[in-house]
Amino acid sequence: MITFLIRRILWVIPVILLVSICTFMLMHAIPGGPFDAEKALPQAIIDNLNAKYHLDDPLWKQYLDYMWGFVRFDLGPSIAYRARSVNDILSDQWPVTALLGSVSFAIAIIGGVALGTISAFRQNTIIDYSSMFISMLGLSIPNMALGPLLLWIFALNLRWFPPATWGTPAHVVLPAITLGTAFMASFARITRASILQVIREDYIQTARAKGVRESLVLLKHCLRNALIPVVTIAGPSFAAIMTGSMIVERIFAIPGIGKYYVTSVGNRDYPVVMAMTLIFALAVVVMNLLVDVSYGFLDPRIRYN
Amino acid sequence: MKRALVLTFALTLVFGLMAVGQVKSLNWNLGTEPPSLDPNIATDTTSIQVIQALFLGLTDFDDNTMAVVPELATSWENSEDGLTWTFNLRDDVVWTRTGRKVTAHDVVYSVKRTLDPATGSSYAYVLWIIEGAQAFNNEEGGTAEGVGVRAVDDYTVEFTLIQPAGYFPSIAGLWVCRPLPRFIVDEYGDDWTKPENIATNGAYELGVWVHDSHLVLYKSPTFYNADNVNIDQVFCYMIEEASTAMLMYEAGALDSTAPPLEDMDRVKTDPVLSQELTMAPDLCTYYYGFNNEKEPFDDPLVRKAFASAIDRQSLIDFILKGGQSPAQTFTCPGIFGHVDGVAEGIGYPYDIEAAQGYLAEAGYPNGEGFPEVTLMHNTSEGHSKIAQFIAQSFMDTLNVTVNIVNQEWKVYLETCRTDCPQIYRMGWCADYPDANNWVNEVFHSASGSNYANYTSPDYDALVEQAARATDPAARLDLYRQAETLLCDVDAAIAPIYFYTIVNLTKPYVVRTFAPLGGEHWDQWDILPH
Repeated sequence: MITFLIRRILWVIPVILLVSICTFMLMHAIPGGPFDAEKALPQAIIDNLNAKYHLDDPLWKQYLDYMWGFVRFDLGPSIAYRARSVNDILSDQWPVTALLGSVSFAIAIIGGVALGTISAFRQNTIIDYSSMFISMLGLSIPNMALGPLLLWIFALNLRWFPPATWGTPAHVVLPAITLGTAFMASFARITRASILQVIREDYIQTARAKGVRESLVLLKHCLRNALIPVVTIAGPSFAAIMTGSMIVERIFAIPGIGKYYVTSVGNRDYPVVMAMTLIFALAVVVMNLLVDVSYGFLDPRIRYN
Repeated sequence: MKRALVLTFALTLVFGLMAVGQVKSLNWNLGTEPPSLDPNIATDTTSIQVIQALFLGLTDFDDNTMAVVPELATSWENSEDGLTWTFNLRDDVVWTRTGRKVTAHDVVYSVKRTLDPATGSSYAYVLWIIEGAQAFNNEEGGTAEGVGVRAVDDYTVEFTLIQPAGYFPSIAGLWVCRPLPRFIVDEYGDDWTKPENIATNGAYELGVWVHDSHLVLYKSPTFYNADNVNIDQVFCYMIEEASTAMLMYEAGALDSTAPPLEDMDRVKTDPVLSQELTMAPDLCTYYYGFNNEKEPFDDPLVRKAFASAIDRQSLIDFILKGGQSPAQTFTCPGIFGHVDGVAEGIGYPYDIEAAQGYLAEAGYPNGEGFPEVTLMHNTSEGHSKIAQFIAQSFMDTLNVTVNIVNQEWKVYLETCRTDCPQIYRMGWCADYPDANNWVNEVFHSASGSNYANYTSPDYDALVEQAARATDPAARLDLYRQAETLLCDVDAAIAPIYFYTIVNLTKPYVVRTFAPLGGEHWDQWDILPH
């Protein structure tokens, strides 16, 4: 197990290197630079700004300088936002995204697994059909429609929740529901399918024949094994949720980091682009590792040596 | 009886305290995080709005007449030859946190810092009218000492220009010239605009700045005109999504917003919202330019044909819905040097027969043999709708094929600069209220914004002469001739419409609309509601 872990952790390095090189090259391949504007700058100013941000260095040197800073946790300045460094941006706004992400994920996983389990145990009844219908709705209605709809109903008309922005626990509810329902839907469907498969296994029949209580059959024998596919998709989903949903954050005017994924590309803000991409890559890699490790606990037949 | 008296007294006390303690707070939407609050560096309207409230300029603009009015400077005069301008400053303006007076030296410091190439200011070019400015800013051998601005004494600033410029007082009020607190900037460098470091001299102080979330401005007690500032606090949200801002306005969380296009029909027919709606002229022009060097648009007849095939009024009525005005000339109304093309018959109104006539005269009767045309715009829903409407109009009127292409903004700018498409979409907004900012700074043959590649020695001569002239009547005539060349005789571009501000404001906000710079929150009031 330990060697497995060490090998997987070491694999992070080439993955991050590959992602960073691809991102860097792509960013510099697209036309336009950070200082292009409608009112064209005089050449001397452009030259000065390029020198200030080392954009006139050869590309390999820019790349190495950036990665050297990255490993020392210095993510560089933001070119578009002159008074802030990338570290400032992340330390101010990632906690917001993380909080929203955690609550959304909790809603998604708890709600999804519960819904899927109920559906599986009441297969082909009205409960099953309605649960799956609701989850299908959650999957099909895009965030950009669901968000404003929830705002309109609950914030504008019923006045149960504040209309957008951030600051109190009440502000978290509507965006978390918006973000969580899409993932909840896929968790529900996978949980249902997986439980339906496990429930037909011989050892479940044995447990029932032995007289084990139904709730124990579910929780101890069934769920743990059924969760493997759920955990498989939960890992990358968690990474995606935690690094910010630009759409939800924009609709609810939440000061998270989600928007930087898109705006930094438009601004050609190279340090921010690199930081955002690498952090997302790291998050995915780490989550996948945790998922793989968890298999050993969920299914004793899986061993790593 | 005694209990009644006590109760009355208590209630009076409570309500009295509430009245006394009432804080007039304006809930405003900035629309996005301001990239910079440093006056020398800011380029965008969001940053400029906040800077307007925090920092005084030598001059300001009257919201109704757009005339230049005194602000930090009480008066100014120019020399006989028009090359020297002297501004006399107030002596009762202080910097927050220190109580130090704002002096002419702060103005000189700011001007030189804007022009310093190391600062990387995008708007420094408006100061190139000052002697030695271009040489310093563009690293052509100039120095800070050589720049023609100096403090004659603590409260007098003198500017020396390279040529007479009647519009200079409006330049002197722009954000790039606003005095800065040297002692703060020198001490904190790039961090000087953080709320804990910054010192300001305007009607408001920066209290809180939570990035991407909100910033709060408090009325400055040391402001020289603080007694006349009614609004105590401006709470600035940063809501980027227009529909969310609209929802917050309707929920009462915002006091003013720009209604999204999709809501315009509903707003106009709603009994409450229609009363709160204002559509006022904005100082911007939307135009389609032609690449004058690319076939077949190198032929003026072709350009005239296309310019005549745009149904501006239908576009405004059915697509834009914002009460905009059709444009046949470039400089918009409200700017000195504006020429009313529609009234004076300059430019090309919508005329199907004339359009077809021009095209036939150019050698393409009924569009026969006319190559496919590329119409390009930067990616946006709004521009896309307009492009589809106009392209359809071209196809129906002239029987030509038009391909619409859109590109991401910076890619689009690069394309326009290096290989400008046959028809390209652009807009231009006023920095200061003079046509020099328009016909000269955009379409002079040497201008970096002249994507149309319009080169006319006559035109260049006209706009250069107008920049130097001092007699307003003479300047107006020169601008009329210039616009005639640009939009009529040469038809280098096809102006389409003049922008409007479309705004909803709560009835309890007593406000003005500032077409230039930022809103004057210090002149507003909030009624009890």
